[in-house]
Amino acid sequence: MRTLVCIKQVKSLGDEVEFTADGTDVDPDYLDAALNEWDSYATEEAIRLREAGGGEVVVVTCGPQESEAALRRCLAMGADRAIRVEGVEGHDPIRVARALAEVVHDESPELVLCGVQSSDAVQAATGTALAELVGMPCVAVVAKLEVGSGPARVHRELEGGLVDLVDVDLPAVLTIQTGINEPRYANLRAIKQAEQVEIEVRQSSAEPASSRIRRMFTPPRGEGAEMLGSDPAEVARRIAEIVQERVA
Amino acid sequence: MARDPKHDILFEPIQIGPKTMKNRFYQIPHCNGFGSEKPFSQAYFRATKAEGGYAAVSTEYCSISPESDDTHRMSARLWDDEDIKNLSLMCDMLHEHDCLSAAELWYGGPHAPCMESRCVARGPSQIPSDFEYLTYAIEADKDDIRYLQHLYVEAAKRARSAGFDIVYVYGSHSYLPQQFLTPFYNKRTDEYGGSFENRARFWRETIEQVKEAVGDECAIAVRMSTDMFMGEAGTQLKRDCLPFVELVDELVDVWDINLSGIAEWGEDATPSRFYEQGRALPWQAAVKEVSKKPVLGVGRWTNPDAMSDAIREGKLDIIATCRPSTSDPFLPKKIEEGRLDDIRECIGCNVCISRWEIGGPPLICTQNATAGEEYRRAWHPEKFTPATNADNDVLVVGAGPAGMECAMVLGKRGMRRVHLVEAHEDMGGTMRWIPQLPGLGEWARLVNYRKIQLDKLANVEFIPSTKLSAKDVAEYGAEIVVVATGSYWATDGLNGASHDVIPGADASLPWQATPDQVMGEGKTLDGERIVIFDNDGYFMGVSLAEFYAAAGKKVTLLTPMGNVAPYMHFTLEAPNMHRRLHSLGVEIVTYHLPTRFEAGSVVATHVYDEHGHETTWEADGVVLVSQRRSDDALYRALKDEIGLDGLRSEGVDALYRIGDCEAPRLIADAVFSGHRLAREIDSPDPSIPLPFRRERRVVDPSFVKDERGWYAEQLAGAV
Repeated sequence: MRTLVCIKQVKSLGDEVEFTADGTDVDPDYLDAALNEWDSYATEEAIRLREAGGGEVVVVTCGPQESEAALRRCLAMGADRAIRVEGVEGHDPIRVARALAEVVHDESPELVLCGVQSSDAVQAATGTALAELVGMPCVAVVAKLEVGSGPARVHRELEGGLVDLVDVDLPAVLTIQTGINEPRYANLRAIKQAEQVEIEVRQSSAEPASSRIRRMFTPPRGEGAEMLGSDPAEVARRIAEIVQERVA
Repeated sequence: MARDPKHDILFEPIQIGPKTMKNRFYQIPHCNGFGSEKPFSQAYFRATKAEGGYAAVSTEYCSISPESDDTHRMSARLWDDEDIKNLSLMCDMLHEHDCLSAAELWYGGPHAPCMESRCVARGPSQIPSDFEYLTYAIEADKDDIRYLQHLYVEAAKRARSAGFDIVYVYGSHSYLPQQFLTPFYNKRTDEYGGSFENRARFWRETIEQVKEAVGDECAIAVRMSTDMFMGEAGTQLKRDCLPFVELVDELVDVWDINLSGIAEWGEDATPSRFYEQGRALPWQAAVKEVSKKPVLGVGRWTNPDAMSDAIREGKLDIIATCRPSTSDPFLPKKIEEGRLDDIRECIGCNVCISRWEIGGPPLICTQNATAGEEYRRAWHPEKFTPATNADNDVLVVGAGPAGMECAMVLGKRGMRRVHLVEAHEDMGGTMRWIPQLPGLGEWARLVNYRKIQLDKLANVEFIPSTKLSAKDVAEYGAEIVVVATGSYWATDGLNGASHDVIPGADASLPWQATPDQVMGEGKTLDGERIVIFDNDGYFMGVSLAEFYAAAGKKVTLLTPMGNVAPYMHFTLEAPNMHRRLHSLGVEIVTYHLPTRFEAGSVVATHVYDEHGHETTWEADGVVLVSQRRSDDALYRALKDEIGLDGLRSEGVDALYRIGDCEAPRLIADAVFSGHRLAREIDSPDPSIPLPFRRERRVVDPSFVKDERGWYAEQLAGAV
């Protein structure tokens, strides 16, 4: 079985933030890059399926050359191939989904895994949009996955600890929740080997973005906050008072 | 990052007599084992704090005369002009950083054993020291008093010549001036004893004379303990200290206010086990209310909010630190730059102090492996040279104190990739659970600091919950492998007293346990009566005794040693630890070595009983704190089974072990071990520590022989 895992190199903020001169993004000097946490679970799940039943794990990302570091991390974990799609910058999930749809068409995977969301944009839209664009069934927020012959049995995480059991025909798009497995760590040898793998670069011919960022800024400080003192007993008493006032 | 405006107050200059401190950070007098005899180590150690932003830095206690010789312990000395030369090095280096230098002039009286000088100290009354064995003073007559004051004046002049900006007339810790002030030491009936005015006379006159001699150029500091916690006999705040402040305030440029006498000076240098930061603040604030002069004081300050509050609320003017400045000499700079999460906070273990109490080896610090190594190993606490073999990948196995420190320093030295692999899900090794022992919460700072630093290093990756076999390590892909797998407590009673196991000792039984099992694995012992066998002698046995006693068990602490936790005497934890164990009803049995453990009982003999009479203690549960063993199974498998050639064929060029895996020692030693290897990872053979510079006298081959054929004194340079 060929599984396509759609991953993203996410950015995280340090203690300080500055914005770019045009005010539409965070200055990259203030960002650290890493493989999106949800995507590491998706990659691990795909590798486990291959280890159990054979096949191929292909990882794909949309991003500039520096995002290859995230692909190489997946290769070091055990993915077989990596594809980077160029020319799709920015945070627009629909635009990314369109570019990924082209890869799905070309690769014809039996299963497409995405992370539930990315930790930087936190829109949780790409996977669902991709399913719609490629005409596959979609199950979001998957906490457990059983693949055998026939439909896949998927545990869909709901609020309040409820689980929805879904049988879904493949091919399908699943968005993977953290905690579905324990992602493996790549040892140094695997990291070094992954550095040698050639990453296939494709150009996207997808339509341009359907949204744009006008401005990024630090939210203005709000008003009306009440700072409670430092004596724990007094703080506890005041919190109890506030809760009683507002709830009752 | 910029400094938080709420900390601005810490960076306001302040005038002390003829001198100005550029900010409010002051390194209080404290020992380091260097004195005047290791002048470069002394100067580099103090100057590192000046570089880190301190506005004033003091010597340790600085003896004014061979009559006040603290050997075996190491003080600074200003006995003669040669001492001026040696200490001027420190003054010069402090001045390079716009930092004032202070000399704490010290005369020990009956506490000075004079083991090197063989002089005899003078004191207010002839009562042997309550701190030092068999040490008496000459009961000073009025000529002696004039002579003592003359010694202070001459030493003050030497301090001025050396370049000191601040000169102390030091009384705290029960030293001479405060002995005169305190009825516990002063039994005189002349005008230097009895009433407050009489008891204050010696100190007042001495301050007057020192001020007269050097006060135009040097600030005069007075260090006073405001409560010895000895009741009527000891110095008391309201009866003695506040009147004394009023009496001499005009003469004094800065007050250094602390607590305790010498016999229990852990009430001043407070272990975190018993006191939080700022413990002396109420006493310091009381002096500040009375004095018109700046007041400085210690409090193991590491939190800039608490420091700022102390000044803002008018309780202190200057934040004095001893241990926090050793743990992080760059404390002021990090606050100034808003880098609060880079502060290496003192954990209050007092291992630094233990070295002075032991009698003079260089101080060490659990948190800061570079403390004391500034000159002799040329280590800087904040600067790391790129490793010449930085194009290598390193695998560090085990994220305890040694492994964390090693990975951190390797990361800072720019190694290409460092993987820190840990079997447990979190970092810390035994330090995951040691801070959960009663009173040791602040020790968690050791892990927290390193976690934060490691997280900032892009070339270091922490890999949790992964236990590597020797084969895994060999095939990991690292050119350099560092094994830091720690140690474990012996499960069979093996101990350093009998050098043997103890029959019946077996921690796999449900009624026996080791510290690892109790704290690390949560093993519980049923029943009410717990016997703890302790031949470790430091914090583990007594902490577990407190742990079980606080849980309502009847605890017997049994040790072949003559005292429980003897090392705690050196860390100043002993007095309050004894009080706590006593108040919890813990039965203390010393000089007893178990001969066998049986279900329901422990049988032991007195170690000096030639007939081996046995005594039996009933025990529902037994805790074995007998000794530790290196957990070196992985290292041995790598070296003995796979072999260095086998490792080389997998691309592993070097294999090292650090920390307890090498030999179980203090936590400070484990941290040092990891740091040392990382500092020397590009040396010709990192497994062997590089030699360090030693400050010693080296004989000149041009020495000449005298008429007897014996080598005479150095004549080099003489024609």
